[in-house]
Amino acid sequence: MKKRNFSLAAGLILLSVIFILFIMSYVYLPYRIDQMDIRNRFSMHSAEHLLGTDHFGRDIFSRILVSTRSALTVSVSSVLLGSIGGLILGSLAALSPLAIELVIMRLVDALMAFPGILSALMLSAVLGKGVMNASIAIAFFMVPVFARLSYSMILENRKRLFIKAARSYGASTPRLVLFHMLPDMLTRLITQFSASVGTAILTESSLSFLGLGIQPPGASLGLMLSEAKGYVLIEPYQALWPGIVLAIAVLGFQLTGDGINTLLHREASHE
Amino acid sequence: MGRYVTKRLLSALAVLFFVTLITFLVLSVIPGDQAVLSLGLDATSESIEALRSSMGLDRPFYVRYLEWLFSAITFDFGTSAVYGESVTSLIASRIPVTFSLTLFSIAVATVISALLGLFAALSRGKGADGIIRTAVMITSSLPSFWISLLALIFFCGHLGWFPVNGYISPAEGFAGFLRSITLPSFILAVGELALMTRMFRSSLVRSLSEDYMMACEVKGLSRARALFHYAGRSAIIAPITLIGNQAAKLFGGTVIVETVFSLPGIGRLLLVAVEQRDTALLQGVVLFITFMVVLMNLLTDIAVAAADPMIRLGEEGGR
Repeated sequence: MKKRNFSLAAGLILLSVIFILFIMSYVYLPYRIDQMDIRNRFSMHSAEHLLGTDHFGRDIFSRILVSTRSALTVSVSSVLLGSIGGLILGSLAALSPLAIELVIMRLVDALMAFPGILSALMLSAVLGKGVMNASIAIAFFMVPVFARLSYSMILENRKRLFIKAARSYGASTPRLVLFHMLPDMLTRLITQFSASVGTAILTESSLSFLGLGIQPPGASLGLMLSEAKGYVLIEPYQALWPGIVLAIAVLGFQLTGDGINTLLHREASHE
Repeated sequence: MGRYVTKRLLSALAVLFFVTLITFLVLSVIPGDQAVLSLGLDATSESIEALRSSMGLDRPFYVRYLEWLFSAITFDFGTSAVYGESVTSLIASRIPVTFSLTLFSIAVATVISALLGLFAALSRGKGADGIIRTAVMITSSLPSFWISLLALIFFCGHLGWFPVNGYISPAEGFAGFLRSITLPSFILAVGELALMTRMFRSSLVRSLSEDYMMACEVKGLSRARALFHYAGRSAIIAPITLIGNQAAKLFGGTVIVETVFSLPGIGRLLLVAVEQRDTALLQGVVLFITFMVVLMNLLTDIAVAAADPMIRLGEEGGR
């Protein structure tokens, strides 16, 4: 019996919401994100301001639209950077002599010992605030995850028959990794990639919430929530929409990753 | 057992060595020379040079690293530029808050996720199982600062159950202390639910499908006895490892709730160090947190090995 893949469907629906907002931010932006209307602060839903206005009277909907840009670009680029770094480090460890392997894997363990956003915080102290630096900091945080994954996958793969066959007719090690192992590893890497983008969005917004990511008057979901924090008991409504959009983005990537995972497992079990 | 512990200890030491190296390396390239920072931008280059050499900044990297490492081993991280106090005493004064937050939230997360995992495993494949899994997945994807804001609005603003701001130390009154850390602890616990519930569920499902469970049924044991005495015992190993690792992670992940609820913990100290680029403080706090993580993971692994001979033997037979 074929079960429906609810995670994938739900994940893709949520992601499409985010992508629509993302595209809309380039096509149709109701207001400039720094356009203030002081007399009209903290307004609720209205025809002019779809989701109301913030403490400067700026349009919340427009700011959310623009926020999806940084959320997506920072997270995707940082995970891309981090996964490539991790892939290189992990395969280097798996293919090197024991001594180098041990050194690299202890290094990866050491990177893993920086819990949560600690490494990102540490790097933003060094690099300074801003979008670019936040991306680098998040990439750094992604490296050990992908390093461990690719390391264990290559070790698993090395024992398989088709790799041994390829090696027997003289395929070089880089060729083995790139053309024989990578296609097989790609599916699990994609799963991890999708889930990691969710984590990266969360990390970016956390950094912005703490005042280390995107700087005002720029717009980021984390920054909007940080600004809402100051008025949270008087104007609780301010904290609503940025949080919802953020949750949709994170959940969308997480569910999609989960869905791809079950999809692949199901295909594997059909074979 | 002795061999496993030694091996694990050595690898933890190797990890710690790399942690100190990364911490020192990354944080010693902070732009803005410490000497320039403390003298101000209009200082003459001679006075900056003089201070640099008196601070020891003109010596080669490895000398400074080794010196820092040896004083770090004796818990001496130098003096914080922002507070003008010793980093060690600053950290020590912040430990109680973060430690109780971590302990509380991991306890809450364990109890809730064990119950949810048990319930999900027993109703496996039915509606309740799916609902629990979806619910914990959604709640864990929500950013903790958003949940914090929502909790502030609801519990502090609307219901007025908890104080909005302000931490009360246990010395000032234990009831007040509990009130001030209950909400943040629960918020931290929510973030842990998905992973832990999934782990409890899957390890219970696995042990429920073992042959000895059928033997229990054949023998006529009551369901509760079979569940807690037989299935539960073998199903507890994997969650214990996870609880240990997550507790370690939580210890370094309290910065956001500490910020929202203005709790004077390690996370706030870390944030001040990052914002002010206080190198000594930053190195001290980062090293302290990572040291706690490595230590917790080491203790967890040893505890699990002591409880489960299969891990111990597997490790010794492997490689």
